[in-house]
Amino acid sequence: GGAMSFLKRFPPPAEGVRHQQPDTEAVLAGRSLGTGTLYIAESRLSWLENSGVGFSLDYPTISLHAVSRDLNAYPWEHLYVMVNAKFEEEETKEAPMAEGEEEDSDDDVEPIAEFRFVPSDKSALEAMFSAMCECQALHPDPEDEDSDNDYEGEEYDVEAHELEQGDIPTFYTYEEGLSHLTAEGQATLERLEGMLAQSVSSQYNMAGVRTEDSIREFEDGMEVDIAPAVAGQFEDAEVDH
Amino acid sequence: MEVSHSVKERTIAENSLVILLQGLHGHVTTVDLRDESTATGRVTNVDAFMNMRLAEVTFTDRQGTVSHLDEIFVTGRNVRYVHIPDEVDIRATIERQLQAIHRVRYFGGRDKGRKEFPRAKHK
Repeated sequence: GGAMSFLKRFPPPAEGVRHQQPDTEAVLAGRSLGTGTLYIAESRLSWLENSGVGFSLDYPTISLHAVSRDLNAYPWEHLYVMVNAKFEEEETKEAPMAEGEEEDSDDDVEPIAEFRFVPSDKSALEAMFSAMCECQALHPDPEDEDSDNDYEGEEYDVEAHELEQGDIPTFYTYEEGLSHLTAEGQATLERLEGMLAQSVSSQYNMAGVRTEDSIREFEDGMEVDIAPAVAGQFEDAEVDH
Repeated sequence: MEVSHSVKERTIAENSLVILLQGLHGHVTTVDLRDESTATGRVTNVDAFMNMRLAEVTFTDRQGTVSHLDEIFVTGRNVRYVHIPDEVDIRATIERQLQAIHRVRYFGGRDKGRKEFPRAKHK
């Protein structure tokens, strides 16, 4: 038969190779592609025949992989890989296949290619399987319909979020604010208002200016900017925000 | 089933029904795949992306051919249905998995999780 058209020459992967299995036969849909080395790398799965040609499979295209030791189903123990893609099995010309020449009778079903990797060292199958599981997990489905899987960053701490509710700064109206004051807060407010009222009658007062008189008032060290002395200036201020 | 070490995976699991599948660890389950093949086997692992690992599997391909596989890894994308076994109490399973996640989050691991109690002062 003709050469498999999808076979190419490329260098073996150098990075992220989780497992490498030499002396491994590759079989596509029951047809042997030769013997070579299987490279289970983080970026892709590659197989290179000893002659230097081979192919790669991208993890997102792999539907499943498995270890098969059922000799009734297939005479050799192997790593089975099902791929969501069509691979040309014979050299094809550019002309499209005529209708009715498709191998699969169900055209509307998605394409599937079945690869088998048969290592001469059967005891390696476990390691090959595990390496593939690890690499596959590195390539979660980007087309996941569930767009809620946006859980980057810190863990969602349910309790902490519930506690935080009281800490969110809010703006109170005057009446609301008053009712939230403790007794101490009320006393402070009264004192401040008293100072405001006093400053109304002061002749020396200008906004922000501290005279000797005003310094005496503040002996307790508290600094307050007295507002301009206009009686009732704030009485008609809008308090509803 | 052991809770994932990944914060992201725990959070995904906690907020989706994957958490139920993770509770099926050890149970024999049938998974229907997108291409209409099915795999029946014992669940050994389910991750947050619904990738499922089964052992001692009876696999029926879409043509109906039956074979046996020692272990299978099905990508989440290709899972269509997971048959929950009759003996599984769904609600209890979800609650148990949530508890496991919260244990890891609040108490678990070396220096992981929120510290519940302040460190004692050194004298």
